[in-house]
Amino acid sequence: MAAPGDPPRLRSYVASRVRLFGSGLLVGLLLGGLGMAGWTLYTGDARASEATVFALGALVFGFGLLGWSGSILAGNGIEAMQEHMGTRSDWTEKDSRRAMARLCGGGGGIMVGTSVVAALL
Amino acid sequence: MNWTQSLFRLVEPVVPPRFVVKRLLLLVPVLFGVASVVFAILHLAPGDPAIVIAGQRASTEQLEQIRQELGLRRPLWEQYLSFLWDAARFDFGQSYSISRGNSVRSVIADRLPITLELAIYGQAAGILLGIPLGIISAVKQDSLTDHVTRIGALTGISVPIFWSGPLLILLFSTYLDVFPTSGRIDSTLFLPDTWTLFGRELPLTGMITVDTVLLGNTEAFLSAAHHLFLPALVIGVYSTALISRMMRSSMLEVIRQDYIRTARAKGQGAKITLMKHGFRNALIPVVTVIGIQFGTLLGGAVLTETVFGINGMGLTIVTAIGVSDYPVVQGTVLTFALLFTLVNLVVDVTYSYLDPRIQQ
Amino acid sequence: MSTDTETRGALGRLRASPFLADLLTNRLAVVGLTIILGMAAIAVYARVTYDLGALASSQLGTEVTDRAPPGWLGPAPATQQLFGTDAAARDIYKRCLYGAWLALKFGTITVGTSTTVGVGMGIIAAYYGDVTDNVIMRTMDVLLAFPPLLLALALVAIFPRDLGLWRAVVALVLVYTPRFARVVRGAALKVLEDEYVDATVALGATDPRILVRHILPNTLAPITVQSTLNFGLAIIDLAALSFLGFGAQAGTPSWGLMLSRGVENGLLTGQWWLSFFPGLFLAITVLGFNLLGDGMRDALDPRMREAVD
Repeated sequence: MAAPGDPPRLRSYVASRVRLFGSGLLVGLLLGGLGMAGWTLYTGDARASEATVFALGALVFGFGLLGWSGSILAGNGIEAMQEHMGTRSDWTEKDSRRAMARLCGGGGGIMVGTSVVAALL
Repeated sequence: MNWTQSLFRLVEPVVPPRFVVKRLLLLVPVLFGVASVVFAILHLAPGDPAIVIAGQRASTEQLEQIRQELGLRRPLWEQYLSFLWDAARFDFGQSYSISRGNSVRSVIADRLPITLELAIYGQAAGILLGIPLGIISAVKQDSLTDHVTRIGALTGISVPIFWSGPLLILLFSTYLDVFPTSGRIDSTLFLPDTWTLFGRELPLTGMITVDTVLLGNTEAFLSAAHHLFLPALVIGVYSTALISRMMRSSMLEVIRQDYIRTARAKGQGAKITLMKHGFRNALIPVVTVIGIQFGTLLGGAVLTETVFGINGMGLTIVTAIGVSDYPVVQGTVLTFALLFTLVNLVVDVTYSYLDPRIQQ
Repeated sequence: MSTDTETRGALGRLRASPFLADLLTNRLAVVGLTIILGMAAIAVYARVTYDLGALASSQLGTEVTDRAPPGWLGPAPATQQLFGTDAAARDIYKRCLYGAWLALKFGTITVGTSTTVGVGMGIIAAYYGDVTDNVIMRTMDVLLAFPPLLLALALVAIFPRDLGLWRAVVALVLVYTPRFARVVRGAALKVLEDEYVDATVALGATDPRILVRHILPNTLAPITVQSTLNFGLAIIDLAALSFLGFGAQAGTPSWGLMLSRGVENGLLTGQWWLSFFPGLFLAITVLGFNLLGDGMRDALDPRMREAVD
């Protein structure tokens, strides 16, 4: 949380991350809610649908988290290696981290959305 | 650089501790991520855990009771959070069927060292043989040695482990009777559970070639090495083939670069030039790839263990998937992921030693 | 009709490039190509001649002996089979030949599907760029970092058992798709850098037209190389999954399954022919694809080579 008195650098640091994760989260919430509702209508079994959609969300979330930490872990190495070998790939640690933060948010959103709809049903 | 300088370079802490600590901290989200994926596997996988435990003929009430006990009737988010908590303590409960009644943790504790031992010997053989072979092949490009090495390496990656393994067993065990077909040590030998160092009892590692040395039991060591030879050979040939191919192409890349030509033009001998500039630079990409290749090696260990009937992690995961023993599947997958990440961490540190530009 | 011209254009470009000439002077690549063509001929022959049902079913109780060694070794060659028989008294020679059909068929399906999906994703990522590109390609990168066989095993655990060999195919498609996406994206970006695509956009061509007409043909060469290299891998991995019990259903004359039975039944008794022949076919086929793939990579335009692994 960025308090009003914080130095602007910290605020923008937090804001950009919240925006990435949050945009994913919103899409995920929507997907999870709709997926849960739709799947239940299709199969007629709320419990099984909750398990399936929630698990898919966990899969995306876990994958994103793995990718995020993996990019930081191996990012410098990969970039340096590509520079070293002179291959002109535009892989960057930053891009990878950002994409993974989105995915992570999306997965989290699916899990939350599913649980909310499941509780309502 | 004279030799004292090189010696200092080996002794001083070339990799700053912060670099290592940051990477160790990142293990937390990595495992958290893997745990989420593993949780998903259980809930996406077909089949009902209750049926796996109680069998097809169990009554509806029995099944319902087991589901309650396993917590499968709670809301998913509750199950997810408690699973993460358990995973953080490496507690996956008890095995459903392959080692019924035993905790997954103890199953893995028994079997992980077996696979580690195999993978370490395989990787060591690959590095010790593959790197020199790759260099020779690159330096003597298009010579007879190069052709033989290349075709050998290509054959090495084309021949599947589950064919070369059985053929070696047939030839050396069944027909010539010089190596045992399976097992880890002669069945007449028994090893104690602990060893003594300065009067203190310590637990053994579970890696049989290490344990027999710790115990000072030469006969047992020879027997263990004798048993391990064929499986390690199979996996070592595979890893040698992979690494020599990478080393060759990386070395060729470096040789083609200008500064080697310049150094040569300045009148330094070809061999010295190569060792001084070429080797270190060519090694950098190979080291990174060795980390990724370790995963391929673990895949190879799965096949090798199946062929040689070695009861390690590989055979365990295959059996567990086959009979839907999900707690064991989850535990083994998480362990493999941890192992893979740790190896890549070590590789990363080695790599930053070779190429200090990336330590920031 | 217009697609015809386009194909001819692409083929023409391929022929005019030094690619084919380089490839044909590479002796190892030609050996590889010969092996593959030979294996394909065997596959078609087996598919036409033999009946899958007869090869899969157990023939115990007939006059054929159980696990007989190859005919040229045995005491009575006239009644025995070239490669011997297995534990269910089936002719290993016929089963090996039919295995070629299965390997090439499922290999083609696996590689074909992952190529199609990967090409689609790679081109879309390259063309639209920005967030689309970032999310697609970084996801592919993470998938690429997983050990192939272990990832396939985890996926196989998720899919229903009754899918049989298809379960292995789907798992491997997911494992291989990222490689194609990466190669294609790299190649497509290079094409997009060329001015004529800009010119086409200026002339008002719509998105799908540019993708299909201009980008796709120009990425053909690296895609072909990657497919060839992956074909060997696909055949070996399909066999590995069958060997571990997650592929072909019991009785199917697939090489992986035959090897698995050979290990189970023939190792201690010294019945080497149970595992020797299916493995030989498998290794030769894979070697063929690896030889050709290596040669193709060497012959490829260096600008495109870096993306192929």
